[in-house]
Amino acid sequence: MSKFQPLTFYSIQKRERYDLLPFTFERLDDERTLLTNMAGEFLVLPHSQIEEMVDGRLTPASAPYADLRARHFLTDELTRKSALELLALKVRSRYRRLPQFTGLHIFVVTLRCEHSCPYCQVSRQSEDKNAFDMTDEMASKALDLTFRSPSEAIKIEFQGGEPFLNFPLIQQIVREAEIRTCKEKKDLQFVIATNLAVANSEMLEFCAAHGIHISTSLDGPRDLHNKNRPRPGNDSYERVLEGIRFAREIVGRDKVAALMTTTEASLGRVKDIIDEYLAQGFHELFLRPLSPYGFAMKTKSFASYTTDRWLEFYKQGLEHIIDLNRTGISFREHFASLILKKMFTCDDPGYVDLMNPAGLGIGAIVYNYNGAVYASDESRMLAEMGDQSFKIGDVRTHTYEEIFLNPKLISALHESFTLSAPMCSQCAFEPFCGADPVYHHAQHAGDCVGHKAESGFCRKNMGIFKYLVGRMEDDPFVKDLFLKWANY
Amino acid sequence: MDLQELRFDARVFSVDSVKNAAYRMAATFDADIKIDDNDIVCILSLRDPALKPDLNSLLNKFRREVIDHDLRLKISSKTEGVRNLILAHAFSRTGIIQSE
Repeated sequence: MSKFQPLTFYSIQKRERYDLLPFTFERLDDERTLLTNMAGEFLVLPHSQIEEMVDGRLTPASAPYADLRARHFLTDELTRKSALELLALKVRSRYRRLPQFTGLHIFVVTLRCEHSCPYCQVSRQSEDKNAFDMTDEMASKALDLTFRSPSEAIKIEFQGGEPFLNFPLIQQIVREAEIRTCKEKKDLQFVIATNLAVANSEMLEFCAAHGIHISTSLDGPRDLHNKNRPRPGNDSYERVLEGIRFAREIVGRDKVAALMTTTEASLGRVKDIIDEYLAQGFHELFLRPLSPYGFAMKTKSFASYTTDRWLEFYKQGLEHIIDLNRTGISFREHFASLILKKMFTCDDPGYVDLMNPAGLGIGAIVYNYNGAVYASDESRMLAEMGDQSFKIGDVRTHTYEEIFLNPKLISALHESFTLSAPMCSQCAFEPFCGADPVYHHAQHAGDCVGHKAESGFCRKNMGIFKYLVGRMEDDPFVKDLFLKWANY
Repeated sequence: MDLQELRFDARVFSVDSVKNAAYRMAATFDADIKIDDNDIVCILSLRDPALKPDLNSLLNKFRREVIDHDLRLKISSKTEGVRNLILAHAFSRTGIIQSE
C-alpha cells in the first residue's frame, strides 16, 4: 500500500460543501478583481467567479478552487482541520512586532543646518548653538526613555538639521547607549541622517568604529540636486558625492545609503534620477513624495504637484527600473519592496507609514532638540508649523508611562485603526496599507481619520497597490522580480 | 444644481450598502439617502460641474459600488464567526489578552 493518497483523492469532481473564510475584494478593472484576506494572502480572479464562490456554486474542479483553498479563502473537508490554525498563525506573524513596541528612537541633536532646502520640514540656518542644540542632560533623559522600551532591537537615528554639526553629542549618546546595551542585552543599531557636507575623517572614523550607518540625500543629477538643495557655494551635489565616496571608504560601502525627495523639478526627470543612483553605485532608490509639513508647506513646495502627478512619476520610475532589470542590471525601488514584502510574506517590515495600528509612538518616537517628545518624525514637522497636537511629553519632566499613555497618542492610535476606520475596514488593500493619523490631521482639519474618499494618502497608496498587482498579473518577469524584492 | 436620483430595491439591497457606496464616492457626489416604500432612494449631486460629461459612467460606478458593498456585507456576515475565532486563536498564546 502506498503511503501517498491516490490522485483521485485530490481531484474530487463532485460538488462538495465548502465554507467561506473571511475576505474582501476590490475591482482592479472591468474584469479583474483582487481578493485579500486578514493574513494578507491575495488572488486575482474574474469578478463573476467571486459571485459564484460566495453563492456556493464552485466545485473542486472549478479553475480557481485549488488556489482559493490554498490561500485560505475557503475551506473544505481536506483543509477544515488545518485552515483556521494556519490562518491564525499567519495573522499572529503579521502582528508579531506589536508587543515589541518602539524600536526606532530618533534623536534630533540639532536643528542647525548649513543647507537651505525649500522643501525641508525642520532645519534652521543659525550659529546659535544654545537655541537649537540638544543638551547633554536632555540626551541622557532621552536615553533613559529609549532603554525602557521592551523592544529587543533598538535603532537610534540621529537627525537634524545637520546632526554632524553637534558631533560631540552624537559621540556621547553612542558611547552611553553602548554601555546600556551591554547591561540590557539588546541589539543596537545607529543611523545618522546627514547631507555629508560637513562630515570629516574624525566623524566618519567614529562611525566606522561604532558600526554607524549613514543615510544621506541625493536628489538626482547635479543640476536637479543643487536646485533642490541650495547651500552657500551652490555645491551640494559635489559635496554629497565626495561625502559618499569618503564615507564608503571609511565606514564601508554597505553602510552608506541615500534618499531622494520629489520636488516639482524632479517630476519629468525620474529616469535621470535613477540613472544617477546607478552611476553612483547604488542598487536601490526610495521614490518619496513631499510631506505636507513644515517648510514644504510654507514655501508651497507640497502644493506644487498633485498626488496623481506624483503617481505618474512613480510609475514611470518603476517601469524604468523594471526595464533595467530586464537587461540584467539589478536595481530595486524601496517603497515597492516594503509593500511587496507585506503582500508575499507574513513578515511586516515595520515601516511606520504602512503600519496598523499606526507607527505613531509604537514604531518610532522623536526626542527633539529642545526636550520635547513627539509621536513621530512627522509630528515634530507639524510642530514646526505651530501645531503641537502630537507633542506627547518632555524628556525633562515626564515619565515613560506619562509619555506613552498620553491621551493624545492613545486617541490617535485608536481613532485611526484601519480595521475599524470607515472605508479602510472594507478595503481589500488594508493588509498592505497602514494608518497615518498625522498626515490626515494635517490635511483634514485636525481629523486623524480623514475622509478616505478625499485622502491623498489613500489615493497614493491605492494607486501603487493596484499598479503593482496589475503589473505582476500582466508580466511573469515582473512577478518574478517583485518576488525577489519581497524576499530581499 | 442638477440632482440625479438612483433607486435601489430595499428587498434586494441593504441601506448599509448604499451608505458605504455614497461614502466611497463622496469626493464625486454629495448624497441624500432616504427610504420610499420598498425603495432606497439616493439623490446625488455632482460636486464638480466639470465632471458632467462623465455623469452616466459615474452613476454606473455608483451602482457597481452598491452591488460590491452588498456582496462584501454578505461575505462579512457569512464569515463573522470564523473571523472572530481566527483573531482569538491568533492572539491566544501571546500573553497580550488577559482572561477575566
